[in-house]
Amino acid sequence: MIEFTVNGQRVRLDLPRKTPLLSVLRNDLELNGPKFGCGLGECGACTILVDGRAARACVLTLNEAEGRSVTTLEGLGSTAMPHPVQDAFIAASGTQCGYCLNGMIMTTVALLTENPSAGEAEIRDALRYNLCRCGAHVEILAAAMHAATALKTTVPC
Amino acid sequence: MADVTEHRTRADFLEANSTLAVVRPLNAEPVDDASTDSLEPFVVIDAQGGVHAFNGHVDLGTGIRTALGQIVAEELDVPFERVTLVLGHTGLVPNQGPTIASETIQIAAVPLRNAAAQARHWLVAEAAKRFGLSVDQLTIEDGLIRPRTPDNRALTFGDLIGDARIRLRLADDVALKPVADYRIVGQSQARVDLPAKATGVLVFVHDMRLPGMLHGRVVRPPYAGVDVGPHVGTSLLSVDRSSIAHIPGIVDVVVIGDFVGIIAEREEQAEEAMRALHVEWRPGPRLTDLSDISAALVANPSKPRVIKNDGDVDAAISKAAQRLSRTYVWPYQLHGSIGPSCALASFEAGRLTVWSGTQNPVPMQGDLARLLDLPERCVDVIRMEASGCYGRNGADDVTADAALLSRAVGRTVRVQLARDQEHQWEPKGTGQVMTSDGGLDADGTVIAYDFSTRYPSNFAPTLALLLTGKVDATKPQVVEMGDRTAVGPYEFANHRVTVHDMPPIVRASWFRGVSALPNSFAHESYIDELATMAGVDPVEFRLRYLRDKRGSDLIRATAERANWQPHTRPQMIRDDDGVLHGRGFAYAVYMHSKNSATAAAWSAWVADVAVNPATGDVALSRITVGQDSGLMINPDGVRHQINGNVVQSISRVMKEEVTFNDIAVTTREWGAYPLLTFPELPPIDVLMVPRPEEPPLGVGESASVPSAAAIANAIFDATGVRFTELPFTPERIRKGLRAVGYAEAAAPVSLPASAKVPVRKPFNRWLPVLTSAVAAIGMIGAATLPIRSAIAPILRPDPSVYSEATIERGRLLAKLGACITCHTTEAESPLAGGRAIETPFGRVYTTNITPDVDTGIGSWSFTAFERAMRDGISRDGHHLYPAFPYTSFAKTSEADLQALYAFLMAQPPVAQSNIPSNLSFPFNVRPLMAAWNTLFHRATPFEPSPAKTDLWNKGAYLVEGLGHCSACHSPRNALGAEMDGQAHLAGGVVEGWEAPALTALSNAPVPWTEAAFYDYLRTGFSGEHGAVAGPMAPVVAELKTLPDTDIKAMAHYLASLNPAAATVDTGKLVQEREALAAARALTPVSTDGARLYEGACAVCHEPGRGPTLFGVKPSLVLNSAVHADQPDTLIRVILEGIHVDQLGELGAMPAFSNHLDDHQVADVVRYLRGRFASDRSDWDQLEGRVAVIRRQLSMH
Repeated sequence: MIEFTVNGQRVRLDLPRKTPLLSVLRNDLELNGPKFGCGLGECGACTILVDGRAARACVLTLNEAEGRSVTTLEGLGSTAMPHPVQDAFIAASGTQCGYCLNGMIMTTVALLTENPSAGEAEIRDALRYNLCRCGAHVEILAAAMHAATALKTTVPC
Repeated sequence: MADVTEHRTRADFLEANSTLAVVRPLNAEPVDDASTDSLEPFVVIDAQGGVHAFNGHVDLGTGIRTALGQIVAEELDVPFERVTLVLGHTGLVPNQGPTIASETIQIAAVPLRNAAAQARHWLVAEAAKRFGLSVDQLTIEDGLIRPRTPDNRALTFGDLIGDARIRLRLADDVALKPVADYRIVGQSQARVDLPAKATGVLVFVHDMRLPGMLHGRVVRPPYAGVDVGPHVGTSLLSVDRSSIAHIPGIVDVVVIGDFVGIIAEREEQAEEAMRALHVEWRPGPRLTDLSDISAALVANPSKPRVIKNDGDVDAAISKAAQRLSRTYVWPYQLHGSIGPSCALASFEAGRLTVWSGTQNPVPMQGDLARLLDLPERCVDVIRMEASGCYGRNGADDVTADAALLSRAVGRTVRVQLARDQEHQWEPKGTGQVMTSDGGLDADGTVIAYDFSTRYPSNFAPTLALLLTGKVDATKPQVVEMGDRTAVGPYEFANHRVTVHDMPPIVRASWFRGVSALPNSFAHESYIDELATMAGVDPVEFRLRYLRDKRGSDLIRATAERANWQPHTRPQMIRDDDGVLHGRGFAYAVYMHSKNSATAAAWSAWVADVAVNPATGDVALSRITVGQDSGLMINPDGVRHQINGNVVQSISRVMKEEVTFNDIAVTTREWGAYPLLTFPELPPIDVLMVPRPEEPPLGVGESASVPSAAAIANAIFDATGVRFTELPFTPERIRKGLRAVGYAEAAAPVSLPASAKVPVRKPFNRWLPVLTSAVAAIGMIGAATLPIRSAIAPILRPDPSVYSEATIERGRLLAKLGACITCHTTEAESPLAGGRAIETPFGRVYTTNITPDVDTGIGSWSFTAFERAMRDGISRDGHHLYPAFPYTSFAKTSEADLQALYAFLMAQPPVAQSNIPSNLSFPFNVRPLMAAWNTLFHRATPFEPSPAKTDLWNKGAYLVEGLGHCSACHSPRNALGAEMDGQAHLAGGVVEGWEAPALTALSNAPVPWTEAAFYDYLRTGFSGEHGAVAGPMAPVVAELKTLPDTDIKAMAHYLASLNPAAATVDTGKLVQEREALAAARALTPVSTDGARLYEGACAVCHEPGRGPTLFGVKPSLVLNSAVHADQPDTLIRVILEGIHVDQLGELGAMPAFSNHLDDHQVADVVRYLRGRFASDRSDWDQLEGRVAVIRRQLSMH
């Protein structure tokens, strides 16, 4: 039995340790956010947060998830109450087809958590290994920069 | 504006009362009498005023759904949110052909807009009747119809439709709303799908989970990416189903011709089976050599088709004062969807329903009917959102795969292609070769233009049809698709255009810009070169030959926007760093139908580049792009399409090229096929010409078309050198510049040759046996063979006689000894033995050490146990082999052995018989081990050294005793005994992994320190050495439970075998090596290796770059495997990845064995060695070594 937390909910699974985390999140927990892209950690479409850090779910297994806290796109916010980074990507049309969008948002969230003062250069570098084939880079970059500004100006209540 | 994903039929929309529908009948009968099956709906308005719009085209991720919604909302004057689009579902939407050629807005939206206008006219006319007014006295606002002179009366659409079922026949000629009245079209509208996509709510086809669904995977033949030839569909020899018998959840293996599919309960089971299934294939014919695309395409049989022939081209060329002949080459490229294709199929009672990301729902329906021998009406294609595709990717193929698997089991099956399958098998954007001939007369006027283009056909039958033999792969269809923009935009008196139609060489399909992008590369490079020959500014020269006013306006506007400075020669502006700067112009109207007849949007580019002549690197410093799209339905959408086209096309131009070996496509992941990254993104300045009075034009491809020529022209302007073949990689540019005399790069940074560290002979854990040594042991054995007696069995000891503290102490000691690691095969039965240990003398199996009386050690007294641990003698008196490290265990104190014994006896017994070891003579003669012991074994307990500290002594006891580090980390002599003295802990090889030296003889670039040992043993990772892998991984996992004091002691002792920390400035060493590695990154020993590293490895390994990811980021600057004498460990890690049980915090490394071939792995390894361990000798014959290790791994 392997236990961990997904989007704040405790999860217990009777599956082999080597079970790929991505297929558990997608198939067992029915989460659409993390997408399968390459299985090699190259493209970033599967990005989740593990203990707050960006992680490529496609290369992890339950072994790595055990006892940790996993956050997926769904755990950030909803269509009614999106996370400021989700909001920025929606407002700036920060994607075309939307398949890489999960990875762009999750990586941006992780970056801005780690470095709230990240500017354009830091964002470009953090997203360097997230691939987008539609060529929505201009909009993605704009969205991430809006998000950085929004998070800076958000006053916690 | 929700997506319609539930299964609704035409009848649901058309049979219902309280509806107003605009339909196109498929036959002549009146629409009111027609069956719903024969009516194609375009617009259906329901009683609530909801507007359902139907279009045969689909949204490929471009946002076309939003734009179509705007068109309908505008004509009907309803709020945009009230319109729902149904796209591409064969059971519902009109047949409007595949979603190709940027036609959706320009062509497929026309009847939709007419239908909306018709509905509006009906509603207004009906309202006029009710109000007793004329239609022009009425107005619609937000779905309410009221008199223009307000009088409190208003009618909703629902009021007007009432209970009736109204059907209107779609008309061609409908009065449309004047553009001047537009309030929704022409205004930027936020994409309707993004909120759901950004929050994980939207269901892509990949995300569908239907009740009872199974998971499918396919196993593709070795001729990856090839769809022509007698071997296609006929190469399967056998499928060994027993090879996946060990995988749970397998439901079926489906084999039809060369089609092989696996169905399993869980996705990871199907995935594992796909990789494990043993399939034998007949060797196929050699693939045409595609390393020279030009030669391959010229040799490919073709039929010339002249589509333009003005004047007398041959005569004119013969009179040219200056002649110019050029050949341009376009490589094979990937559509490269980020999501490998996925589909679901449900076959039930002779009816097939598929959920697919296809861009061609109707042709797909036909293919599926053919594949399954069904009437087309029994096939329903429901189009789901999918990863962007820019043409035809693997979506159709996977849909057909799912259909075959679903039919086999009669259940819903979801099939997901693997990344390597999508890369290898997606029909490629084809290679293309263009020749431009012509020249100038004495006045510098173009005297003739003779253009020809070779475009292999892009028909690409759906793969399952070929693999199952439904379609004959020896007779490929030749289609006429090379003519897109084959006729360039300029008018010349003598102008000939010839298209060489030819069959495909490898699978190809249309890809954004189709043949127009390569054709324009040729046209626009050529005219640029003619301009230079004529001594005229390239923009001015183009305008002289352009008769098209919109085109000329766009060229002028774009040049002005970019502050174009006229020039007649390449500018070659060199900055202080020696970098060359230049800018290039290109222009195209994307002519996307047959014979270049129909125009999409106009596009013009100015590209600014900076070229480093030393390295060949080209940086794009700015792209200015102007576009005339006619009326822009959603200006933001148009801008995003322009940006997307620019980014994708510069990626294609600068970086992208599919590679092949002699049978198949070899690009299988993103390292071998890199895409543009965020740091490479240039500023893009978009100029959108407002032309609301002109019809809307397709914008999905146009802005790509001038890309390659604009960049080539800019590189020419910067360097004076013309490049005519893509992609513009640093190696191609460097080579081209060298050829005309640009200086060599600065000498690569490197240590002097004298600093190279010679390769030491590898210590092998089990050195090969020498004949003389075997003879020697035989003689000693014969002379001194002692007889050891059995120790009487006892009743299984009652563990309750031991205190909990003793058992706990034993548990920790067992962890230190990592007993479970070797003595366990199945996690459910720990310590029951059975694990094979390979030695050069043969295979030894570990034994059952659970307290089972019959098969384990339940009948062993402590005396028997102690004798085994100290002397290597089993209870029954037979000798154990030193694969069981009793030579180390002998040093354990009696108290600790007691505790260990207590712990083992307290474990649950497992009945599992031991497997006899399988050694060759004379090692299969166990008594000879007595002689071995006489020679090599000192069964004396550890004695602390009084000269050393307690900490040191404790560490030595743990390391040299139960820890048995030397068993792997000391070299062994010819008889398999650990060597001592200087060789003690000086490194060995275990199960193909290097167990590095732990002493001053270490190969590590910085010496091991106490802190580094501690980090490594405690966490599995040291920043100065790397992460734990291979057989060491479970050892560190076991050490996890040991108290910190034990780990500290071990680290302290091990550090004492290394140079004193004070004598080494680790920080300085690290800095030096990082600087060296950074410098060497500029001049990689393998450019292919560098590319692979950047795409596949750097995200987790490149220091100071990229995101901070969960897990460790081992720098290869200091990595032990990269600095080892032999490449084996590095190769193994790349092939099989790293997952360390219990040490999840390290993260994990994926296995690359399925995605990189031997050559590619060798390239990466060569690059890593050259960049990070340049002071070490090169590894040679790497490719062969990779092949050997790959074979070894596949046998496990």
